[in-house]
Amino acid sequence: MRTKSKWLTILLVLGLVLAACGDGGADETTTTASGGEEPTTTASGGDEPTTTAGEEPMEIATDVGVDLDAGTITIGLLSDLSGPFAPLVQIINSGHEIYWADVNANGGINGLQVNLEVRDTGFVVDTHVQLYEELKAQVVAFGHSTGSPHTVAINPQLQADGILAIPLTWYSGWSDPAINANLVPHGVPYCIESMNMIEYLTLQNPDAATIAIASNPGDYGEDSNAGARLAADALGLEIVYDGTGLINAADEATLAEVASGIAGSSADLVWVTSSATPFGAIYGQALAAGFTGALWSGSGPTWNPALVAPDSPLAEPLANDFYISAPYAPWAAESEGNQFVRDLLAEHAPDAPPLDYYAEGVIEAMIMHQALLTAYEAGDLTQAGVLAAAKGLESVSFNGLAPDETYVGEPNDRLQRAQFISRPDPAGLAAGTSTGSTLIETGYTSPIAEAYEFTEACFSLG
Amino acid sequence: MRGRPLLHTSYEADQALLNTTAKRVMIGIFFLLVISIPFQIIPGLKFLGEDDWLRLLSTTAIFAIGALGLNILTGLAGQVSLGHSFFMGIGAYTSVWLGGAVGGPLIGMGLPIWIWLPSAGIVAALIGVAVGPTAVRVRGLYLAIVTLGLVFIGEYFFRNWNSLTGGAQVGRDFPPLQVRLWKEEVPLIDLTSSGPWFGIDISGTAKAFFFLALLAVVFTLLAKNLQRTRVGRAFMSIRDRDIAAEIMGVNEFAYKLLAFGISSFYAGIAGALLASFVTRVIPERWDLFLSVQFIAIILIGGAGTVTGALLGSAFVVLLPRIVQNFTLWMQSVATQGEGIGAAIADVLVATSPNDFGLVNTFAGVGPGLSVAQLNLVLYGLLIIGFLIFEPLGLYGIWLRIRNYWKGWPFTY
Amino acid sequence: MTHGLVVLAQETVGVNEFAQTIVDGTSFGAIYALLAMGFVIIFKATSVINFAHGALTGLGAFLVAAFATVLDFPGRFLTFLPETAQWTANVITALIAAALIGVILERVFLRPMVGEALFAVAIVTLGLDIAVRTITNDWIGTNPRPIGAPWGLNVVDLGWVRIAHSEIAQIVVTVVLLASIALFFRSRTGVAMRATAFDQETARAQGINVGRVFSQAWAIGAFLAGVAGIFFSVFPRRSTGVDQATAFIAFRAFPAVIIGGLDSIPGAVVGGFAVGIAEATANSYLGFEFLGSGFPGIVGYLLMLVVLLIRPYGLFGTPEIRRV
Repeated sequence: MRTKSKWLTILLVLGLVLAACGDGGADETTTTASGGEEPTTTASGGDEPTTTAGEEPMEIATDVGVDLDAGTITIGLLSDLSGPFAPLVQIINSGHEIYWADVNANGGINGLQVNLEVRDTGFVVDTHVQLYEELKAQVVAFGHSTGSPHTVAINPQLQADGILAIPLTWYSGWSDPAINANLVPHGVPYCIESMNMIEYLTLQNPDAATIAIASNPGDYGEDSNAGARLAADALGLEIVYDGTGLINAADEATLAEVASGIAGSSADLVWVTSSATPFGAIYGQALAAGFTGALWSGSGPTWNPALVAPDSPLAEPLANDFYISAPYAPWAAESEGNQFVRDLLAEHAPDAPPLDYYAEGVIEAMIMHQALLTAYEAGDLTQAGVLAAAKGLESVSFNGLAPDETYVGEPNDRLQRAQFISRPDPAGLAAGTSTGSTLIETGYTSPIAEAYEFTEACFSLG
Repeated sequence: MRGRPLLHTSYEADQALLNTTAKRVMIGIFFLLVISIPFQIIPGLKFLGEDDWLRLLSTTAIFAIGALGLNILTGLAGQVSLGHSFFMGIGAYTSVWLGGAVGGPLIGMGLPIWIWLPSAGIVAALIGVAVGPTAVRVRGLYLAIVTLGLVFIGEYFFRNWNSLTGGAQVGRDFPPLQVRLWKEEVPLIDLTSSGPWFGIDISGTAKAFFFLALLAVVFTLLAKNLQRTRVGRAFMSIRDRDIAAEIMGVNEFAYKLLAFGISSFYAGIAGALLASFVTRVIPERWDLFLSVQFIAIILIGGAGTVTGALLGSAFVVLLPRIVQNFTLWMQSVATQGEGIGAAIADVLVATSPNDFGLVNTFAGVGPGLSVAQLNLVLYGLLIIGFLIFEPLGLYGIWLRIRNYWKGWPFTY
Repeated sequence: MTHGLVVLAQETVGVNEFAQTIVDGTSFGAIYALLAMGFVIIFKATSVINFAHGALTGLGAFLVAAFATVLDFPGRFLTFLPETAQWTANVITALIAAALIGVILERVFLRPMVGEALFAVAIVTLGLDIAVRTITNDWIGTNPRPIGAPWGLNVVDLGWVRIAHSEIAQIVVTVVLLASIALFFRSRTGVAMRATAFDQETARAQGINVGRVFSQAWAIGAFLAGVAGIFFSVFPRRSTGVDQATAFIAFRAFPAVIIGGLDSIPGAVVGGFAVGIAEATANSYLGFEFLGSGFPGIVGYLLMLVVLLIRPYGLFGTPEIRRV
C-alpha cells in the first residue's frame, strides 16, 4: 500500500512536470526559416554595419564578457521571472532574445555573436544583488535591471565596478546625474508621464475641474503622483481624492478602499498608477458604485489588453473612458520600428503570440547594440569601454517604436518628455488586427512637462 | 581505553559536544575548509572563493542562524511557527533604528554594530515573549495560523511605518557590516571593502564571509549546547507530550515562552544580518515565503537536529543556483554535445522558442517551465518528497550513510 | 462620454452607506465562506490542514477560464442551448475537472502521509501549494484571463443600495451550495464522512471505505475553491479575470476558518461572513490617515486573534481532549 503510493507519487510528479510543458509540446515546427532571408529586416532594425571581412582585425581591448577568440559578447539580464512582474518581464526578455538572434544571424557585432545570460531575481533585492555579483564576472554590461530599489541596491557596485546597466523602471531619478553615472534610462519618467497624460485628459474634457489620483506604493506610485500633483496644480484641477500609495494588488481590501474613494469623490478625471488587475478591480468597483462619466488614464503598466478582451465586461466602458499611456508604440502600429518587431517575431518565434511588450526588450537591446558598436569602433570592448560608449551616445533612434533618446548634455535637456498615447481597441483585439490598442499620438509633450525644470528625482528613493 | 569507539567512562564524556574522534577530526577538516575557501587553495573547490559563491555561502551562514532559532522552537519544543520572518523583520528594523544613518529623513541613531546587532536579537526576543501568551494559549495547527497572521500583521506595519522602514517597495539602506568603537568616521574593522588583514589582502566579500561564518559557529555552539541542558530537555519533553511534561514538573507556560524568546532572538539576529549584508531591503522582504523557506530548511535538514538546520540552510540557499547551473549545463549539452547525452538533454531543455523541453532556457515566453519556475516546483516537491520518503531529512540520510560505514563490511 | 449601460448612468445619491457596507461585506464574505467551508471539510474528513487551498482556488478559476472561453467545452457542442446555459455547462465541466485534480493530488501526495503528524502533513500541503501554484501560473501566462461570465456590468439599483447581478448570483449560489452540503451530510455518504471525521480507524472497522471518503472530501474542497475563484474573478471584484495573484485570496480566508473553529462547518460559514463584513466595515468607517494602507486586509487576522484569546478553539470548534 505504502510503496504503491510512493510510486504513484513519483509518476504524478513526472506527470505534473510533463503537463506543465504540454502547452507547447505539440507545436514543434520545422527549423528552416520561411522563404528567403528578408534583406529589409536589418535595414529597419537600425544601422547594421557590414562585417569587416578581409580587413586586418583592429586591436580591441577586452576584459570581461567579450571573448574575441570564441567570437562572443555576453550581456546580462537581471529579470524578474518569478515575482510580481514576471508576466511582463518574460515577454520583454523574448524581445531581447529575438533581437539578438536576428543580429547574430546577420553577422553579429562585427562578427562577434551576442549571448544573453539571464538570471531571475524574483523581484527580491538580496537575490538581485547576489545575481549581480554572479554575472558581473561574466558579462560586459547589463541589458536590463528590473526594479528601482533593486537597481539602487546594485548602483554603488555598478559604479565601483564600472559596468553599464539599463534600468527596467521609469523612475525619474535615472535622469539625475547624481545617481545615474552607470545607468542609461529610456522613455518618459513616471512623473513626466503623469504631467503629459493629465494635461492630455484636460484637452479631451476642457470642463474638467477635479481629479482623483491613486497609486501603488513605492517609487512607481510616488514618482508618478508627484507629477500628477504638479500637473493638477498647473492646470487648476482640484485633487478631490488622493490615494497615493494605497493600492496593494495582493490585498483586495485596498482596492475596495480606493474604488470607493474615487467613486465618492465624483472627480472629472482619474489618474491611476498601478497594474492591470488591480486597476480592473478598482475601475469595475467604481462603476458598480455608479461612478461614470469621468475620463480615466494611468501610467503605462496600468494598461493591459486583457482589460478589453472579448470576454472582459470592462471592454465597452473602458473604450469610452480610458487613455493609454504607452511607453512604446503598440504592436500593430505602422512605424518602421513596429514592422521590424513584427518581422523579428515572425522569423525567430513564429508561434509566439503578438504582444506589446516585446518592444520594450527590443528597445533595450537596440540601446545596447548601439553602445556595443560604438565601443567596438573605439577599440574598447571592456566593461568600462561599453559604459563610456553608452554614456556618449548622442542619438539612439528606435524608428518610431519609441521616442529617440540622447545620453549627452544637461540632465534637463536630455530628459525624455515625448509621450506616446493610445486608445483601447476592443474591436481590433477581437478581430486579431491589433493587441487591443491603437496609437493616437506619437510624441505628445504637454506644456507642463515641457516647462518642468528637472534638477533631481521627483520622488527621492532615500 | 584509547581506540575504542563509543566507550565513555564518564557522563561528561558521553555528553561532550564532540564525543568521538571521528567528529573531532571532521570538525577540524570542516573548519580548515571554511577558512581556505576565500583563498581558493583546494582544487575543485576554487570556484567557491569567487565573489558570488562567497555571497551565497555568507547567506547560508545567515540562514543557518535563523534556522537554528526555528529549530529550537519547532524541532525541540514542537511549536510550529510560520511567523519566523516577522521576527526577522523586527530584528532588521531594530538594527536600522539603532545603527541607521543619522540626519537623513529616516529614523537612525548611527550606533556601532556591537550595540545594534545584540539589540536586534533582544528586541525580537522581547516581542516574541510578548506575543507568546497568545501563542501559548492556542496549540497545534491553530498556532500555525496565528503565527501566519503575525506575518501579515507585521508586513502591514512594516509597509506603513515609512519613517523607519522607508515605505513599501522603497525600503532603505541598512547599517553596513562595519565594526566601530563608537561613531568615529573610519571603522575599526570594515567588512565591506577590500584590504589587508594580518598582511594578507582579502576582499570585502571574504571578510564578511569570515565574520558571518564565525557568528554561525558561535550560534551553532549555543544551540547545540542548549540541547543538553535542563532547558533543552524540558523543551523536548513538551514536544513529546506536553501534559506528561507538566506532570513531571516542567512549567509548560514558562518554557514555551522561553522557546519563543530564544527562537525570536536567533531570528532577530539573522534578520539584522541579512538586511545589513544585502544593504537595502524593502518591507515586503519579510513575507510568508521567507517563513516557509525556514520551515523547509528544518524539514529538509531534519527537524530537531542542529546538523540538520545547517545542512538544510545550505541546501535551500544553494538549490536555486545548482538548478540554474544544471539547466545551463544541460542547455550547452543539448546545443553542442553529441550522442545520447545530447539526445536526453534535448528532451529536457528547450533552447529556442519553438523547441520542446521540460525546462525552457529561452529567455522569454515559450513552452515549458522557466528555470525560475522549475526551481519553485522542485522546491515544493522536495519538501513533499522529504516528508514522505525521508522524514529525518538530510540528517537521516547522513545517519544511514554513517551507520553503513560504521558497521562495514556488515550491513547491521 | 456616455455609457451604453443605462443602469449605471442613474443617480446614486441616497445610497445608504451602512446598507452598502453590509452588502459588500456579505458578497465578499460569501467568497470566504466557500473557501473556509472547503477547507474545513478537508480538515474534518482527512485531518489535513490544507495550505494548498490557494493553489486549488487559482487552479479551479484557471480551469473555468480555460473551459469557458478558450476551449468552450462542452458549450461548443451544445449550440442549441442559450448562451448562458452553454457557459454554465462549461463552468460545471471545469469545476468537475478541478475536483478530479483535487482527488488526484490527495491520492498521490497526501495518502502516503496518513497517520503521520498533523504538522508534517500540513507542511506537505505547503510544498504542494508552491508546486501547483507555479505550474498553474505557467499556464495562466502573461495576461489575466477573463471568465466570460454572463452578468456583465449589470447592477440592480434600489436607490438606497446597489447590488451587481454577479453578487446576487453569488449569494444565491453560496446559499444553494450551503444547503446542498447540509443535505449531503444527512445522506449515506455524508454520514460516512462524519463517521470518518470522528475516528478514521473506527470508521474503517465499521466498513466505511475511508479512502473514498478522503477523495470525496478533496473533490468537494476543490469544487468549492473553484466556485470561490469564479466569484473572485468577475465584476465587481476582479473584472479582468484570473491572474497569477488569484491564489492569494485563500490566505484571507484562513482567519475565517479559525474564527469559526477548524472543524466546524457552520463555523466556517459564520467566520467567512464575519470576516467579509468586518473588512467592509473597516473599509467604510476606518479610513483614518494614520492607519495607512491595507488596514482592512489585516482586520480578519486581528479579529481572529481576539476570538482565539477568548476561545482557543474558535467559536464553534471542538476543544482537543488532552490526555497523557
